[in-house]
Amino acid sequence: MLRSAAAPRILTVTELADRLRATFEAAGTIWVGGEISNLKRPASGHLYFTLKDDRAQIAAVMFRSAAQVLVFQPADGMEVVVRARMDLYPARGAVQLYVEAMEPHGLGALTLAFEQLKARLGAEGLFDQRRKRALPKWPRTVGIVTALHGAAIHDMRTMLRRRWPLAGVVVRPVRVQGPGAARDIVAGIQDLNRLADVDVLIVGRGGGSLEDLWAFNEEPVARAIAASTVPVVSAVGHEVDVTIADFVADARAPTPTAAASLVVPDRDEVAAAVDRAAAALARALRRRTSLARERLAALERGLGDPGRRVTDTAQRLDDLDARLRRALVGRVEWDRRELDGLAGRLARSGPVARLGAATTRVGAAAGRLRFAVAMRVRHARAALERSAVRLDALSPLACLERGYALVRRGDETGHVVTDAATLATGERVTVLFARGRARATIDDTEG
Amino acid sequence: MADEPPRFEEALAELEGLVQRLEKGELPLEDSLAAFERGVGLVRLLSQRLQDVEQRVEVLLKSEAGKLLRRPLGEDEV
Repeated sequence: MLRSAAAPRILTVTELADRLRATFEAAGTIWVGGEISNLKRPASGHLYFTLKDDRAQIAAVMFRSAAQVLVFQPADGMEVVVRARMDLYPARGAVQLYVEAMEPHGLGALTLAFEQLKARLGAEGLFDQRRKRALPKWPRTVGIVTALHGAAIHDMRTMLRRRWPLAGVVVRPVRVQGPGAARDIVAGIQDLNRLADVDVLIVGRGGGSLEDLWAFNEEPVARAIAASTVPVVSAVGHEVDVTIADFVADARAPTPTAAASLVVPDRDEVAAAVDRAAAALARALRRRTSLARERLAALERGLGDPGRRVTDTAQRLDDLDARLRRALVGRVEWDRRELDGLAGRLARSGPVARLGAATTRVGAAAGRLRFAVAMRVRHARAALERSAVRLDALSPLACLERGYALVRRGDETGHVVTDAATLATGERVTVLFARGRARATIDDTEG
Repeated sequence: MADEPPRFEEALAELEGLVQRLEKGELPLEDSLAAFERGVGLVRLLSQRLQDVEQRVEVLLKSEAGKLLRRPLGEDEV
């Protein structure tokens, strides 16, 4: 008898599978610790791997919906703790762990995620010093991506206003923590990049826990900072907080306040520089004018005073003229006295007998006298002519020919002006040139 | 906004250039006078700007159509 009433009931495979599944279901959610191996990540986004320790192993699957919220990247060899359900995959009779959540063992998940992203972006070269751009010295507008309410924006505005009110400020308000924060920050960076006058960005927030600051450790934020066309300064939390954003940014500021003082010049320093420039300007001009004045004075000395030369020459001419006249008159006088003397001697000498001889002598003497006088006059005329020629060379007209001009009071007959102080404002003068004359009115005089 | 005054840094750069040229003494006297006058004007402009400016603060918002809007930000809004 193969079968008896007490004989065990024969199960179908499906029935067995169902029993097993019921058992697993009763076990509910379990936590299992182990090492990941043989990890596969197909296009579907599901994760397939084996969880093992040194003596056993079990297949595991983590569906895309659960896998995509992981902040870190699971990898072969990584020790993890998973929250999972056990179940049988009936088509293949395989028992699997259906993983709902995963934590790295030991380290916090966020810490691990941070290290992983840092390593990956670092390997890509996103943190290279070569990529860092210099901050503009004179930003027209500072773009700020941060929360609209909070200490960070207040501190930054205060510092920007104090240091450099010439720069405008555009705040792009974003959520800085919680779900959606990273997406907001990325959009904020992109939006501010579209404004033509924004020359530098500050991306940041005030202090908080690692979780609070987490958005600044997310890959999209890092990539948005790297892709920004204007330089980015990161300013997240306090001095001790370091985020991925800090590594990617063109400059890292320990606090939002420090970021604000990093992106703009200081008004007082610039004002001092302007004052120095003004002083240098005045100094340079003074030197330039005093140099010119010295040169002018030197030239003036070399030139002499043209007006003075004209008057000197005129005086010399008068002098010569007077001497000439005196000389001429004196000579004629002398000759006449000589003649008178001869006439006297003639009268005193013998009367009739010597008359003939005397007459002859008188005639000869008179001839000599006329001759002498004529000679003397000719000499004098020649001397006068020579003087006149020399005089002509020295004449004011010759001076005028060289470009000087004579200024006379009133019309051309007025006195020559040699001292500006004698002129009154509004007075009419005549300026004589080598050729022609001009009438002018005095606007102003200087001693 | 065609006759907007020169940007601060442009004015400052011009001032520094004037000072340098004057110090080298390469300008003719009359030009150096003109340069000096220009420089003094720039100093006045720059000092004035540094003194008078009220910082312009705006907030960047998105309209429903997705366009970016800049709106002045009140002191009490932060």
